Amino acid sequence: MTVIGILLALELSGEHDEDLARRLQQREPQAMTDLYDRFGRLAYSVILAIVRDAAIAEDLVQETFLRVWNRMQGFEAGRGALGPWLLTIARNRAIDHVRSAGSRMDRKSFEFDPREHPSLFVDMEREVCNSEHARLIRNAIGKLNANQQKVIELAYYEGLSQTEMAERMGQPLGTVKTWVRTALRALREELEQAVTA
Amino acid sequence: MTCDELREEYGAYALGIAENPERAEIAEHLARQCPQCTPGVRDVLATVAAMSGAVKESEPPKRLRRRVTAMVSPEEKRSSWWAIGAGWVAAGALAFALMIAIRAPKSDSSRLEQALSILNDPTTKDVSFGEPTARGRVFVSPQKGVVFIAAHLPPLGAHKTFELWLLPAKGDPIPAGTFGRQEDASAVYVRPGPVNDAAAVAVTVEPEGGSMKPTTTPFIVTKL
Repeated sequence: MTVIGILLALELSGEHDEDLARRLQQREPQAMTDLYDRFGRLAYSVILAIVRDAAIAEDLVQETFLRVWNRMQGFEAGRGALGPWLLTIARNRAIDHVRSAGSRMDRKSFEFDPREHPSLFVDMEREVCNSEHARLIRNAIGKLNANQQKVIELAYYEGLSQTEMAERMGQPLGTVKTWVRTALRALREELEQAVTA
Repeated sequence: MTCDELREEYGAYALGIAENPERAEIAEHLARQCPQCTPGVRDVLATVAAMSGAVKESEPPKRLRRRVTAMVSPEEKRSSWWAIGAGWVAAGALAFALMIAIRAPKSDSSRLEQALSILNDPTTKDVSFGEPTARGRVFVSPQKGVVFIAAHLPPLGAHKTFELWLLPAKGDPIPAGTFGRQEDASAVYVRPGPVNDAAAVAVTVEPEGGSMKPTTTPFIVTKL
């Protein structure tokens, strides 16, 4: 995608998100339908990839959209990134579920997760659900070394803590932390380069 | 801990895999809108959200769209008996509503008596909760029990039930019984018996028969 193409996509996405967010804040039921049409498939895919059970994934998708609906008043329509916020909530619900099912939950599931605060999702790239974006992130992950890919996979899909990863991989905790940190940094740099190239 | 000490844990925190004390420390920095940690965590959250693009796409069943949109659909709201009594606050109106609501064939007068006993207790706490979805009230008597009333409840999947939890100030949630929902998306649930030092109540969706501890995130949490 060219720079103009990327900027145009972001601009269109931004306008769409802003309008959608305002309608959600005004409690328009149709806005919920539009929100689902825009992000439902991706949210379901993320959750299903983590919980691996279609019935549970459906429940968690419903919970995700309800949570977004109930917290919209704290969302900054003009600056907020609706997709990243919703997908963060979706993944958190899924990870909470697998941790709870595996008795690994050390944070009470009813506690508010500060990572879901809508104020954290301002001024970030909104576009997360087009094929160009998918290609970019897959390429970026493909460039990570095997250890970095492994820790990202264990963290993203299983929600293993760094201590748990160290035990499973038979590696020192400090080493695992370094792999996580450098992997995320590499992904971010790769994505930034793609957008500014 | 200082921001510089926490910086290396931003990624783990954004992924939800950070451990204490770093996790609690970063949360505390975010809560006070720390000018260094907030943008630092935000950057990594954007990267983590972007990773969803790498997930293998799966087609959700068509009924899921209906389930999600039904949660806020006007039809659900119109059909709810809750709408008829919106704004009712007096005990008399509440008792009347309960008499209507406790109408299932298997209900008996003892359930209504239990509910009224809780409502008439001068020490009962009365708390409203909810947005347009899952709106309701909960009445908690420390000695006599809980009356939970809600409307706009989300649809339940097959072999699922709602479960009420009592949340003590410290310690694990205490299961307080399961209940379904009426066709109009409402529910009235009475849980008799003492309620020891509950600081909040919550409701989750659980497998049929209920769970001993929550397996999903509560969609209702109300402080008492």
